[in-house]
Amino acid sequence: MKPFAHTSAGSVEEAVQLLAKYEGKAKLNAGGTDLLGVLKDRVLPDYPEAIINIKTIPGLNTIEECEEGISIGALTTLVDIITSPLIEKYCPLLKEAAVTVAFPQIRNIATIGGNLCQDTRCWYYRYPDKIGGMIDCFRKGGKRCPAVSGENQYHALMGAKQCFAVCPSDTAIALTALGATFTAVGAESIRTLPVNEFYTPLGNVLTPGEMITAIYIPKPSPVAGQKFLKFTLRKPIDFAIVSVASIITLDQGICTGARIVLGAVAHTPVRVLKAEEFLKGKELSEEIVAEAAEFALAKAKPLSKNAYKLEIAKTLVKRAVRGDSS
Amino acid sequence: MTPTHEIPSHPTITFTVNGEACSFIMGDGSHELPPSYTLAQTLRERLGLTGTKISCDHGACGCCTVLMDGKAVLSCMLLTVECEGKEITTIEGLGNPVTGAIDPLQQAFIDNTAFQCGFCTPGIIMSAKALLNENPSPTVEDVKEALAGNFCRCISHYHVLDAVIATVKKGGE
Repeated sequence: MKPFAHTSAGSVEEAVQLLAKYEGKAKLNAGGTDLLGVLKDRVLPDYPEAIINIKTIPGLNTIEECEEGISIGALTTLVDIITSPLIEKYCPLLKEAAVTVAFPQIRNIATIGGNLCQDTRCWYYRYPDKIGGMIDCFRKGGKRCPAVSGENQYHALMGAKQCFAVCPSDTAIALTALGATFTAVGAESIRTLPVNEFYTPLGNVLTPGEMITAIYIPKPSPVAGQKFLKFTLRKPIDFAIVSVASIITLDQGICTGARIVLGAVAHTPVRVLKAEEFLKGKELSEEIVAEAAEFALAKAKPLSKNAYKLEIAKTLVKRAVRGDSS
Repeated sequence: MTPTHEIPSHPTITFTVNGEACSFIMGDGSHELPPSYTLAQTLRERLGLTGTKISCDHGACGCCTVLMDGKAVLSCMLLTVECEGKEITTIEGLGNPVTGAIDPLQQAFIDNTAFQCGFCTPGIIMSAKALLNENPSPTVEDVKEALAGNFCRCISHYHVLDAVIATVKKGGE
């Protein structure tokens, strides 16, 4: 890797002061399983001057229960989420999502904050500089998205205008379904936003001086059925081709509440309100569930090579709503 | 807490590799360790522990797996400078340092011919070791999940499963 200065922060305050000092030319490093790949391949025109280690900040890796919800420190590793009895009890959906992320060596190190903040896996955006030079694209400040007329089989199905890369985070999909919020701290700011407002078409809402410190999940209804399903070809190393998170409440066979979120179909987790509304008050028969899946994907506009994702997404929605395990 | 950003956080770094303390002075000088060095690079190039392999160098293949505080991690995706105070175990650290006898898990790989070219083997053994440390009697499914991040192009996976399960059975006797 190209050289950089390195500092370890001892507190959130110190980390954000360092970010402010470097004026956007520093990157925070938690697990590092995403960042180091970006640095090694020099995929971005700007290389950071400094890396700030935040693993040294105490107290940010705990999962705590409060009266109304669960609070997760941003530095909590995915393995700690998977093995947490609190997560298992209140939000098995998040556990199911975290288990699908990569493989044990990564989950032992990768953090939930980092999983939200990871950069997209679009293969044009991530193209290594050493193999013929980095590829310019809209997300890097260029004029066009090479995926539109290129190899777009893993790209966005909906909501994209300039950049067609998709949100790579699995936990973001689960957290959106759970109605979770995150807290971002800057040198002179602290704000709490819903996870589904985290991603923007070209990145995320964090300013260069901010860091995520915690995630808060309101306790879901104990009777609601939670499900996370992810379609990939090679489970341990592939990012989601499509994923779906659902929380369905049934009362004597009638759906009284539904939250359905699609992953890897857009730059952000996509909550499909029309399908949710459609299911409410209905018995979940094969036909009704199939119709809901059609509603969920009604806004999709496939590119030249990714229409197959549409069919996968519909199937996953049907399975998730019915509570099937695969 | 007083910010300390004018001083590099770890002018020297100390961690343990296979039970022995290692110290490095961080910096870009000829006897110093650059902060951009990964743990895998440090193990191989500075400590001569070439049992740990670098293959993809992108956290996808598992060849560089080592144990950090007992857990399997990818040494190519860790900055050495961030390993302060950690206990690292590499393939060279298995077995008995006094008698030189290899670990029963390593012997099982030999007995079951669980490798061909052998390049991925140290990573696979370290992942399996992490599993056995945590769960001495895993099922075949547990072993598959624990080794999901270790790739072998010679397709030795079936023999690897035999070797790990053989170790489990032997341990239970």
